[in-house]
Amino acid sequence: MSGGPLIVQSDKTLLLEIDHPDAQACRMAIAPFAELERSPEHVHTYRLTPLGLWNARAAGHDAEGVVDSLIKYSRYPVPHALLVDVAETMDRYGRLQLANDPAHGLVLRALDRVVLVEVAKSKKLAGMLGNKIDDDTIQVHPSERGRLKQALLKLGWPAEDLAGYVDGEAHPIELAEAGKDGGKPFTLRSYQREAVEAFWAGGSGVVVLPCGAGKTLVGAAAMAEAKATTLILVTNTVAGRQWKRELIARTSLTEEEIGEYSGERKEIRPVTIATYQVLTSRRGGAFTHLDLFGARDWGLVVYDEVHLLPAPIFRFTADLQARRRLGLTATLVREDGREGDVFSLIGPKRYDAPWKDIEQQGWIAPAECTEVRVTLTDAERMSYATAEAEERYRMAATARTKLPVVRALVERHPSEQVLVIGGFLDQLHQLGEYLDAPIVQGSTTNKERERLFDAFRSGEVRTLVISKVGNFSIDLPEAAVAIQVSGTFGSRQEEAQRLGRVLRPKADGRQAHFYTVVSRDTIDTEYAAHRQRFLAEQGYAYTIVDADDVLGPSLPSFD
Amino acid sequence: MTTSLADHLRSLPDDSLAALLQLRPDLVVPVPADVSALAIRAQSRVSVARALDGLDQFTLQILDAARLTRDPDAGTTTAEAILAMAGGGARPPAPAAIRGALGRLRALFLLYGPEHELRVVGGVDEVSPYPAGLGRPAAELDPRSAAVCADPAKLRRTLLAAPASARAVLDRLAAGPPVGSVPPGSLQAPAVGAEDALPPDVTNGGAPTGSPVRWLVEHRLLVRVSSGKGGGTVELPREVGLLLRRETGPLGPISTTPPPVSGPPREAKAVDSAGAGQTMEVVRHTEALLETLAAEPAPVLRSGGVGVRDLRRLARVLGLDDPTTALLFEVAYAAGLLGELDLTGSATARYGGDQQVLPTGGYEVWRALSLAQRWEQLARAWLTMTRQPGLVGQRDDRDRPIPVLSAEAERAGAPASRRAVLGVLADLEPATAPTPDETLALLEWRAPRRARGREAAHREVLAEAAQLGVTGLGALTSYGRLLLADVTEADERAGGDPLGLLSEAESGDPSTAVRALDALLPAPVDHVLVQADLTVVVPGPPDPALAGELDVVAEHESAGGASVYRVTPASVRRALDAGYSADDLHALFRRRSRTPVPQGLAYLVDDVARKHGGLRVGSAGGYVRSDDEALLTEVLADRRLESLAFRRLAPTVLMTPYQVNRMLVALRDAGYAPVPEDAGGATVLTRPKIRRAPARTPVSTRAVDPLATPRLPMPRLLGVVEQIRRGDAAARAARRAPAVVRGAPPSGPAPVHGHSEALAVLQQAVRDKALVWVGYVDAHGATASRLVRPVSMGAGYLRAEDERTEMLHTFALHRITAAVLED
Repeated sequence: MSGGPLIVQSDKTLLLEIDHPDAQACRMAIAPFAELERSPEHVHTYRLTPLGLWNARAAGHDAEGVVDSLIKYSRYPVPHALLVDVAETMDRYGRLQLANDPAHGLVLRALDRVVLVEVAKSKKLAGMLGNKIDDDTIQVHPSERGRLKQALLKLGWPAEDLAGYVDGEAHPIELAEAGKDGGKPFTLRSYQREAVEAFWAGGSGVVVLPCGAGKTLVGAAAMAEAKATTLILVTNTVAGRQWKRELIARTSLTEEEIGEYSGERKEIRPVTIATYQVLTSRRGGAFTHLDLFGARDWGLVVYDEVHLLPAPIFRFTADLQARRRLGLTATLVREDGREGDVFSLIGPKRYDAPWKDIEQQGWIAPAECTEVRVTLTDAERMSYATAEAEERYRMAATARTKLPVVRALVERHPSEQVLVIGGFLDQLHQLGEYLDAPIVQGSTTNKERERLFDAFRSGEVRTLVISKVGNFSIDLPEAAVAIQVSGTFGSRQEEAQRLGRVLRPKADGRQAHFYTVVSRDTIDTEYAAHRQRFLAEQGYAYTIVDADDVLGPSLPSFD
Repeated sequence: MTTSLADHLRSLPDDSLAALLQLRPDLVVPVPADVSALAIRAQSRVSVARALDGLDQFTLQILDAARLTRDPDAGTTTAEAILAMAGGGARPPAPAAIRGALGRLRALFLLYGPEHELRVVGGVDEVSPYPAGLGRPAAELDPRSAAVCADPAKLRRTLLAAPASARAVLDRLAAGPPVGSVPPGSLQAPAVGAEDALPPDVTNGGAPTGSPVRWLVEHRLLVRVSSGKGGGTVELPREVGLLLRRETGPLGPISTTPPPVSGPPREAKAVDSAGAGQTMEVVRHTEALLETLAAEPAPVLRSGGVGVRDLRRLARVLGLDDPTTALLFEVAYAAGLLGELDLTGSATARYGGDQQVLPTGGYEVWRALSLAQRWEQLARAWLTMTRQPGLVGQRDDRDRPIPVLSAEAERAGAPASRRAVLGVLADLEPATAPTPDETLALLEWRAPRRARGREAAHREVLAEAAQLGVTGLGALTSYGRLLLADVTEADERAGGDPLGLLSEAESGDPSTAVRALDALLPAPVDHVLVQADLTVVVPGPPDPALAGELDVVAEHESAGGASVYRVTPASVRRALDAGYSADDLHALFRRRSRTPVPQGLAYLVDDVARKHGGLRVGSAGGYVRSDDEALLTEVLADRRLESLAFRRLAPTVLMTPYQVNRMLVALRDAGYAPVPEDAGGATVLTRPKIRRAPARTPVSTRAVDPLATPRLPMPRLLGVVEQIRRGDAAARAARRAPAVVRGAPPSGPAPVHGHSEALAVLQQAVRDKALVWVGYVDAHGATASRLVRPVSMGAGYLRAEDERTEMLHTFALHRITAAVLED
């Protein structure tokens, strides 16, 4: 027994005790092949997955090394069967290679003929493979590169992609680290630098960083690395404009070089920012804006908020395998369970950092999460009890009893900028009236949104009530308090995104507060528990308080 | 020859004879009557085969050399001739090694006689007909072939002229065995006129008419020894075979030492560690398997065993593959942890079986043992069980999958295979990890006759040993080595101690293997780490008390070196149901947790406790309801109705545990006028009774290898020798029975006289307790004689003891023809 910090479980999870002196070294050793799954305060959980092991192989780690680090840091004997399994899994990688043949173009080449015969017979690959060139080589239709890789992955014989990437149309892009037009100089933070390096070394992939940790800058740095025309896909127009602002401020790019491709404008420039919405809009059943992908010889495609990537874009992405792809997200949890597709089409997770680590380094504001439980009035309980199943969440989440609690919370932080976030419009309107605050919702025009956000940033508006639009990247650095009154059922990533609204580091380093107001003894509580899971696993400990503690001894009268 | 071996044996000193019996213990089961019987048995096919089974490849080759160098007439050979032949190859072995092999063969009496006149015992030729894989001499096969072989130069020319495909056939036959079967028609000449149509003979075997075998037979290099519908067989004459083996020597490639192991030398610590990790897995999986079976016993098929469907179900629950699950199933059964239970009614059987497999009472005992002891029990059962789990799932003769625990997977040789494979690993340097192929090669060299045909079984043994943690990273673990030594020793002890008087298996002391393994396994921990995401991590194997507590208050999420639990509202509710109060739970977490208890967890406990018991559920025998609250109050207060034990549930409802009829009668007696109502349903909560099959003895307490004959200790062997000697003396004496009693034609005294004289002799002998030769006519009219000691005489019968056979014989006096005192 070595007394190491790692405990290897038979279900292939690795438990890392972080208070152990060797914990940091161990984390560095296992990070290349194990996926960080949970990072609460004492014991982090990593998982060995075939995908993770194959990615490690792709990055040049061999099975011996993996087994060695497991044995070296393991506190207890590691089961033989698990070691064998690791070695066997890693051995499956690279038996097949995708390569560029000078004569035949893209080919699938086998180092192990039996495997090639096996996969060539598979029905899942039907139509992807072309002519057989010799016993070890089969031609591949270039357009099927992504789908083939995905299918091979599912068959358990991941191909090593040696076909490389096209450079795309060159375009000079530099990071303006010295400060531009009188702007403040800046340097990439260490984790941003690591993320870009990991991405560039891997060619394509996903970078996972907490909200507010500067993902845009990672994108900008990747563009500066590619020095090529870039297509950036974002969730909505406001986010697109934020990207544009950020790129102008932080890179050598000028306003004229950046185009906006949205519902309002259709500009195609060396750097083009397009929204998911416009790309997936259809006319007469056909996607009308797909030409964008072929409009220029893009050298880099950036997917912002990749966890929201709509299904049609998956299909387009399969055709883009020869271009470098960068996915950015804070929470790679998709409620539709398609994380695997993100990995196989955009690329594996190249960088991941526990939120609490970044918080400790001071790059995101420390946050205190509180769940406030309100007790419904008897009348509300009665109507909740008799409500239809599909109406129950709505009834519990929009209980009027929450209103005074929200006001009390707002009043608790008189000097802070407060966001009140909810999912139900009726409730938001009630709140808007009750708190006398403006509302931003889906139907608010972009112009009005910009105006309200500007007012909020400047401090003119202290409290803002926002709908689901707040789930996405809106940059409101001064928001320090978020109050969530309702959400989309049990969505974990939504909760994380909403917390992210208040995580931008504050000028004076003060703490952020995240409140979620929940109706006691209803389905609202259950959803809240599920929603909190991601953050709890990132080490955010929710404190649960009763509404009475917030409201103080005397209940304000409310009809 | 028989007599000569017998004579040879007879001339040996006692301890040499005892040494032979020790080397070949099967010779004394049962104890032979005399040395002749011993000699016959020592040459019997079965005994010789057994002796040959234990020999390594090199010694067998030397035996082959002895057989090949035998003088065709006298049947003897000399040590020099053997040395010359064995040393004839390209890389001759050292003479000392050859002499050593000869010594071993002579000790086994496979060879006997002085060095210049060595004889091979008869059974050898029966057991392996082709010495060194060479055919019979041409002279014995076919005169025409003999003629070809008689001229070496011609033979060589013919060989050189052989087409490549024919040469390939020859080379294969020369490597042995020297006989091959040929397809029908291949020996027939092509039809007249069709010769030109033959394709060029590039590869052999294609077209039967162009067959290279035909060419060889026609050129007398092969001899057809039998023919039949199937085509027949051909044999390669010895002379041709020897000529083809010019390069390697007449005996083929000789290796005096076992093949080397190229496997990377492992770190002993890493080996033990990997193995120990695996033992934890095995024990955990076995426990999970047994728990699953306790929850839902597996029905036994009518044809025996547990069906594939149930095996798959278990495999799915355990998250293992089918073969591993089958292995654990078989091992748990062999260890006495699982047993069958007869079902009284067939209602519980899911499909027709009337027996179920479920944990036995022994499981309870096993569960209370330490991890290492639990593993040891499993590993011992595996070593000794006569089952081959690898067969489970394979197809039997009728192409049906073999079910687990079925008779089809029974293999008496399985323990021997395991011991052989592990023995090979144990004989290597510690932490040497040969590849499976190398291990098989070693087995092949050590005992070729035993290893042949068992390659698949041996591979399975290797895989199973890895699964069970007996080996780690391909090498035998230190505790595995100890266990093996322990089991071997126990075997030997059992041989010398048939009654188990000296057995210390029950003494309760953990064995050395258990102690060694214990040192490798993590010590149990009694604390947990509680985290804000409501997970509870036990950073090591939990001690039983902690495990018991956590099983109640939290859901198990992940197992292995550590355990991860998650506290959920449901688990807290379960704990509250089990009798914990909220304060108990707070105290529990505070006491067990090394880290501060998160506020969320405390809140969860309080929140669930607050709601716990908000609804009350009970059962009642009957109720009384009335809109008249005063009336109910009266009933409740009525002393005559005290026996009904009414309880007021609500102002308008009374409840009683007693049945409606009794209540009705009591109420009416007391002067009330109740009316019965239609009853609603009532829930009865019962706890399912845990069932166990009757206790079974684990196989490991039985003799380890039922096939192996017990090893006999020296005193017993000497006793056996003495017994044989005595028998031998008696047998020799029998041949010297006096002519009178041998039933020679009555040339001497008249029969009547002889009879009365015999009786007189016998009477005297009874008095003197002297040995007497008795001649008599048996029931078939044949005359026979026997040396006996008369015990009594009367009622027309003589009772006498035969000292040789230690039997009491009864002779009818009128059948006795003669009696002569033994001189």
